[in-house]
Amino acid sequence: MKKILILLIFSNILLSELVLEITQGTEDPYKVAVIPFNGDTSISNTINQIVTNNLKRTGEFKVFNNKKLLSQPQEEVEIIFNDFRILDIDYLILGSISNSDKFNTSVEYQVYDIKKGSKIRTSTVFGIPNKDRQLAHYISDGIYEEITGIKGIASTKILYVTENKNFNLVIADADGKNEQVLLESPEPIISPAWSPDSKKVAYVSFETGIAKVFIQDIATGEREVVIENKFQISAPSWSPDGKFLSITMYQDGNAEIYILNLKNKNLTRLTNHYGIDTESTWSPKGSKIMFTSGRSGAPQLYEINLRRFNARPKRLTFEGNYNAKGSYLPNNQGIIFVHRENTKFQIALKYFDENFVRPLTESQMDESPSISPNGNVIVYAIKDNGMGLLSGVTLSGAKFRLPAKEGAVREPVWSGFLR
Amino acid sequence: MYFLKNKFNFLILVIFLSSCSTMNVTQEQVSSGKVKTVKATSSAASESFINYDSRAVFANATIYFEFDKSNLTSKSIQILKSAVNALDENDSISITLSGHADERGTREYNLALGQRRAETVSDYLVLNGINKSRITVKSYGEEKPAVLGQDESSYAKNRRVEIN
Repeated sequence: MKKILILLIFSNILLSELVLEITQGTEDPYKVAVIPFNGDTSISNTINQIVTNNLKRTGEFKVFNNKKLLSQPQEEVEIIFNDFRILDIDYLILGSISNSDKFNTSVEYQVYDIKKGSKIRTSTVFGIPNKDRQLAHYISDGIYEEITGIKGIASTKILYVTENKNFNLVIADADGKNEQVLLESPEPIISPAWSPDSKKVAYVSFETGIAKVFIQDIATGEREVVIENKFQISAPSWSPDGKFLSITMYQDGNAEIYILNLKNKNLTRLTNHYGIDTESTWSPKGSKIMFTSGRSGAPQLYEINLRRFNARPKRLTFEGNYNAKGSYLPNNQGIIFVHRENTKFQIALKYFDENFVRPLTESQMDESPSISPNGNVIVYAIKDNGMGLLSGVTLSGAKFRLPAKEGAVREPVWSGFLR
Repeated sequence: MYFLKNKFNFLILVIFLSSCSTMNVTQEQVSSGKVKTVKATSSAASESFINYDSRAVFANATIYFEFDKSNLTSKSIQILKSAVNALDENDSISITLSGHADERGTREYNLALGQRRAETVSDYLVLNGINKSRITVKSYGEEKPAVLGQDESSYAKNRRVEIN
């Protein structure tokens, strides 16, 4: 009983806000000051808080505490650039909020380069009713892009599975907030995947008694089984052009990879080996498929070049005796995967031009890594006291946790760019 | 002609703007992000009733496996021998073999591993004269653990094939 009570208290703490535990960011972060925007105070505070968190979570920004600023300009004419130069601040963000009516909000913000002493960006973001969080995410991405030159991911989504009484397929903002349930089922749901345009999802549901792959439209809720037959089908992955779905089918009792043409439903067999072949995933340009195979006696990652006739699988990992669930970096310079080191399952990175594995995490049971569309952040599932949680690590080394949900959370997958 | 001239002026304006300033000006509307919730019903639950007879016969028939392995141990073979006898004596019943894995490793690999374990059991039964048409093989991977817990004894109980 005592144990249960402690667990309850513990889980209540976990249900709080986003936990930023930046263990190590970039050595020389961009230093920015974000002045609370002019206008409605409550919207202004919400936006300020979200933008600050979004920037911090990238691991590349240091957001200056506003109380320590020498001046807090509300608009351009009030800026004293030297007040910010003294504090070694690189960029200043100002903005103003206008409510055209009770619900519709429009935000104009500016980015100033302190060293140059000039405005480098002015942007307007406007929303449909009650989308203040979304506005803040768009603003964060605008700031991030302007300063780093890389597309931001604050306005992207994460898809994942939760389990408490039922199994749920859930979609949320990249910061873990704004959860929306796509599917609720009494039977397990695994292996969620996004379509390349991020308008549909594929997943494995056991609702019919065996593993079957479904495709579901996010906005309409329309769903269908991809192949109607008696075989177990799992591990869906969309080709980058959206025309094909690679799957694992157990037609002859063993896990083999097939490519399904979504238009005419033609199936092409890709693997043929008595070892397990599963967890297929496409390279960014769609010319190669990587998969996990047990053909060497333990799971390792292999890749098949689709442009070559009858290409033989090429082994990609040789380090340790468990390397699985790989995915390509968006720039195609390497792969991330689950790697076992002694008894620990970690998320690891291997660049194609290096012959060693770089472990990115060090807990006991890390799994399901998924990389952000800009290639900078990996979200993955961890087990903390037996409870499933989501964590993130940036390639610059910053770590964070997403807010805990009710029940276990697992298999996070990052959407494509949405703005 | 007038249009052309107008376009030309506009072009000059654009070039002028982009050359005298490096400031970015953007305007965007946030997307609606509409989401529809669907509730799935399980057709899996009714299935267990079909094999009700066999449940009584194989009440405790569970075969256990080593980590990342799908081969049968001598103890498993003992259990399977009595399963073969029971199936021989009740030739009207058909059975379902559900393979499972412990939680270590990836979910899809464990699904395949569970399937492999169930196939191994199926192969043994078929080799010993049981008609394959009486056997349904499936896997739940690590999704339906028999025991919760992060220790070897829990894991060992979850690496199994259930016969029912």
